[in-house]
Amino acid sequence: MLLLPKFDYEEPKSMREALAMLSELKENAKVIAGGTDLLVNMKKGTVKPTRLVSLKKIGGLREIAREDAGLSIGSHATISEIADSALVASLFPVLARSASCLGSPLIRNRATIGGNIVTARPAADLPPALMVLGAEVQLKGKGKGRTVSLDSFFTGPGSSVMKAGEVLTKISIPPVPSFTGGDYIKLGHRAALEIAIVAVASRLTLDRPDGVIVDARIVLSSVAPTAVHAPLAEKALTGQRPSEELFARAASIAATECSPITDMRGGANYRCDMVGILTRRTLLKAFHDALGMKEGGA
Amino acid sequence: MKKLITLTVNDSAYEVAVAPNRTLTQLLRDDLNLLGTKEGCGVGDCGACTVIMDGKPVNSCLVLAVQADGSDITTIEGVATSAGLHPVQQTFVGMGAIQCGFCTPGMVLSATRLLEKNPHPTEHEVRQALSGNLCRCTGYQKIVEAVQEASRRMKK
Ligand SMILES: Cc1cc2nc3c(=O)[nH]c(=O)nc-3n(C[C@H](O)[C@H](O)[C@H](O)COP(=O)(O)OP(=O)(O)OC[C@H]3O[C@@H](n4cnc5c(N)ncnc54)[C@H](O)[C@@H]3O)c2cc1C
Ligand code: FES
Ligand code: FES
Repeated sequence: MLLLPKFDYEEPKSMREALAMLSELKENAKVIAGGTDLLVNMKKGTVKPTRLVSLKKIGGLREIAREDAGLSIGSHATISEIADSALVASLFPVLARSASCLGSPLIRNRATIGGNIVTARPAADLPPALMVLGAEVQLKGKGKGRTVSLDSFFTGPGSSVMKAGEVLTKISIPPVPSFTGGDYIKLGHRAALEIAIVAVASRLTLDRPDGVIVDARIVLSSVAPTAVHAPLAEKALTGQRPSEELFARAASIAATECSPITDMRGGANYRCDMVGILTRRTLLKAFHDALGMKEGGA
Repeated sequence: MKKLITLTVNDSAYEVAVAPNRTLTQLLRDDLNLLGTKEGCGVGDCGACTVIMDGKPVNSCLVLAVQADGSDITTIEGVATSAGLHPVQQTFVGMGAIQCGFCTPGMVLSATRLLEKNPHPTEHEVRQALSGNLCRCTGYQKIVEAVQEASRRMKK
């Protein structure tokens, strides 16, 4: 049986108190949200915090609510709350889809969106969808707060711009323009309890149903130290009239814009090939959804 | 330092002093002597430790006992009533869905929760709802059939 090392556990009643507890011990103090990543790492001995701070007594961190015409999601909303939310499904189906492929139903009932972002795993399921949606995260430190675009949040496997003592409080997603569609596909050996071999999220916006692509976003996951945009493929799509040939061309460009490793889940060459296939499929679905939709939703 | 927590387990209220590094699995098995909850992998992969926490099935090996303060827990010991076994338990027994039995408590809890939310699941929905619970013996087929049969019996 895997045992946990000794540590203190605190449940502060206000964010102010929480930030003081976290900053006091720097790297030795950690937030515990769902614990599905942290407790596994602590059992395996790869992280050894001496104090865990739970934010469960602090109100408002679990809310999923409309914000301007977009959405705000509290960092402690669970993955199943996001996967099952009617609001998320209607505004951002691509996010609902990515949430429903994370782990297992049991894991999803505990795991949080904030934890999924902060762990900064190269194969994490929510970041690619959140990146094509243009999400921003709010970070609170002692005294000051800041807003960071998810595009510039990750700095490497397991690392991000977050400083010791900071808390991620909220994720904001801007409204979706008209004639926009998106998709997320995760490739794994199994349908559940699987870390992605490759995953791709895409989003397309047209100027009108029979018009040209005015905005294209493609994010590749599990094929680089962090989730990355495929900027050349995005550029090749922008301003063009959508067609299967165009999507195939963009997909083969995207396959050159990643730097996967070979590991037990798959070889580097295989992963590049799959980036191409998944990019093409997500673009096709994004295009069809964009056509079928007048306002909102991606 | 130990923390004093209160929680409800199978409709009984408990007050327990527990060290922060003990999991909910350990609290249930070692302190409350509820041995139906199993620990397999200890890291969220197998689902042998499944319990219902505030209405949702979770991996109790990845919940700290202190995190369960104030919550309402159902373990496999709380599924049968004075009227007898739950229909899911009856069909598991009757239809060969149990071999060694190690996965059974978790399977039954995930299945009962599914049928509460969705009384008439498709085969695909049953498989999805049980996808966090691994079984090394049965090959899953009989488990899925038992859940579907329980759903039919509960309809009547
Ligand atoms: C069996 C299993 C399967 C899994 N499958 C998947 C999968 O398919 N896809 C996937 O993406 N992930 C998967 N995971 C990983 C994990 O479940 C997710 O990353 C989850 O979203 C983490 O959230 P959490 O709330 O449990 O984080 P925790 O474990 O509580 O925290 C993780 C880290 O983030 C920090 N943290 C958490 N919240 C905050 C906050 N608000 N502010 C500051 N710091 C914070 C913690 O200090 C810790 O360092 C799996 C895990 C397990 C055990
Ligand atoms: S023992 Fe908890 S999931 Fe395996
Ligand atoms: S019956 Fe043996 S693990 Fe399922």
